[in-house]
Amino acid sequence: MPDHALTATGLRKGFGKKQAVEHVDLSVPAGSIYGVLGPNGAGKTTTLRMLLGIIEPDAGERTVLGAAHPRQVAHRIGYLPEERGLYPAMKASDAIGFMGALRGLNWREGRRRGAEMLQAAGLGEAADAKVRTLSKGMAQFVQLVGAMVHRPDLLVLDEPFSGLDPVNQERLEALILGERDRGATILFSTHIMAHAQRLCDRLAVIAGGQRRFEGSVDDARALLPMRAHLVPRQGDARTLLPADARKEGEGFAFDVPPDGIEPVLKRLIESGNGVAGLSVERPALHDVFVKLVREADA
Amino acid sequence: MRFLAQALVIARRDFAALVLTPTFLVFLFAPLFMLGAATISSIGAIGVLEGARGQVAILAPASALPRLRAAEARVRRAVGTEPGPPLVRFEPDDGRAEQVLARADVSAVLAGDVVRYESGAGEQADYLALVAAAAEADPVRREERRRGDGVSARARSAAAFATVFAMFFLTLLLSSQAISMLAEERSSKVIEILAAAIPLEAVFFGKLIGLLGVALLFLSFWGGIGLVAAQASTGLVDWKGLAPDVGLPTFAALFLGYFILAFLLLSAVFLGVGAQAGTMREIQMLSLPVTIFQVAMFALSSAAANAPDESIGIAAALFPFSSPFAMAARAATGAPAWQHAAAFAWQTLWLLLTVTIAARLFRRGVLKSGGPRR
Repeated sequence: MPDHALTATGLRKGFGKKQAVEHVDLSVPAGSIYGVLGPNGAGKTTTLRMLLGIIEPDAGERTVLGAAHPRQVAHRIGYLPEERGLYPAMKASDAIGFMGALRGLNWREGRRRGAEMLQAAGLGEAADAKVRTLSKGMAQFVQLVGAMVHRPDLLVLDEPFSGLDPVNQERLEALILGERDRGATILFSTHIMAHAQRLCDRLAVIAGGQRRFEGSVDDARALLPMRAHLVPRQGDARTLLPADARKEGEGFAFDVPPDGIEPVLKRLIESGNGVAGLSVERPALHDVFVKLVREADA
Repeated sequence: MRFLAQALVIARRDFAALVLTPTFLVFLFAPLFMLGAATISSIGAIGVLEGARGQVAILAPASALPRLRAAEARVRRAVGTEPGPPLVRFEPDDGRAEQVLARADVSAVLAGDVVRYESGAGEQADYLALVAAAAEADPVRREERRRGDGVSARARSAAAFATVFAMFFLTLLLSSQAISMLAEERSSKVIEILAAAIPLEAVFFGKLIGLLGVALLFLSFWGGIGLVAAQASTGLVDWKGLAPDVGLPTFAALFLGYFILAFLLLSAVFLGVGAQAGTMREIQMLSLPVTIFQVAMFALSSAAANAPDESIGIAAALFPFSSPFAMAARAATGAPAWQHAAAFAWQTLWLLLTVTIAARLFRRGVLKSGGPRR
């Protein structure tokens, strides 16, 4: 298998006068979990569709599992689209068998595997139920199992967590990690940062049709300074703190200055205000995402 | 090879989705409902016609009645069915001509050499006069000349028209289902999964094959019933006289071939049109022009059936969407084998073209943005 399961360079796509994707480069290491983050309408779905060959880019190049066109390796790819879709009159196990058959798996084998996978996820009773009788979360799981049943090398999930309750979100996270452990590469889009922060080895942030960041979660979090929360022991210490300090509860929150937190502590101690409490945290992915999107909007 | 396997996955799903439902039985027996409705309306129409024509009576001595009956039968045959002769009752003449005419349902009476009739029943009176004249005259000798193959030109023309009609009826009933097939994919949002896994052309071909499977099941069912009915009525109907020039097995094979091509061609058009619709309302609006198109093809092919070698016949055979109908009609009347071979090649080419264009239109229409735009 090549080092990268998927690469894209300079992808562009417009619909009429609207430029949905302007210039996107991606490089997804094989065997990793890769997140494509972006606000609504950022061009995530269009990017994924181009990567899968559902639509053709106006410009740019892509390589998927070593093939010049995704269609050549479609049988090695699994896909969960943002718009969930199953035939309502089909049994869940049949629907999974059908999706596997589309990717070249024997229909009967797909049904058997599907029933097993549902059983393993604690949803065994859904296998013989008609899709129309399933809850939204269950139907979403059935579709996800359908995307994985042929054991793809690349699994592409478009907003997989949307519409799921916390219990099912946890189930889904376990499934994604299980697929990664099996050796598959997982590419998923989301605008829920908590999942990306927990799951992703690497990620890209797309906003306004362009890639604004690509790297590891740590790289992303390093884009913003550390965040300090300080509670003075006594007196009005406001003037001794950095200019961006904001009152939060009993203390103040502010970015750790470039020269570190120590000069701030020294000033407080020397002035007699003292320090009752201090915590320094790395910024959350959420904060980085908001910053990047705001910059793109500006 | 992979393309075909992918198309067959779609075909299998669609075939099962259509056939393995209780509503398929309703669809399968739809011709019975149509036949029932046609029978009821025919009975009504016959009643109306009979009421309009009224009855006539022939009164004669018992010994003369057989001669008059035979004469009336000859005249009846000669008059034909449009508008058709009146209903005739034969009764012994016991001098009650005036009383019989006075009945509400009798408009003219022949008794002896006199025809009595009510005002406005001149045609019925003329009919009785013809019967009287025919009864007096000796029947002329008739000599029938048959063509070598035993099939008259009229019978050939009738067979050709019947072929076109049968094919039109079947495609009208079956292929129009295609228009709602892709709308189903869009409403159930499965289309993106299909488009990601296999080429849309394979989706289209798969749907066509699935629909064709349903059509062939339908055809086999009713064809089987037709064969049983034909066997049972061998003594009543001269089926041999209706057999086409090429012989029944060859004709059946050609009919099946052209039916498959007609079905696939029209279904491909319907799929392409249906692909542009996203809601039931749009499907209903699009169905009308499609049905009109289908009827136009039927009209063109019907006209061509009577004149296969004139310009309209050649045009119908060449125009791709009427070609299967027109060529099936030619199969009924006799056409060289090369014409059929060329027609099959021509129609197959158009089938491929139509599916490719329809699939591209569909791709352009449905996958523009983050979600299907509707």
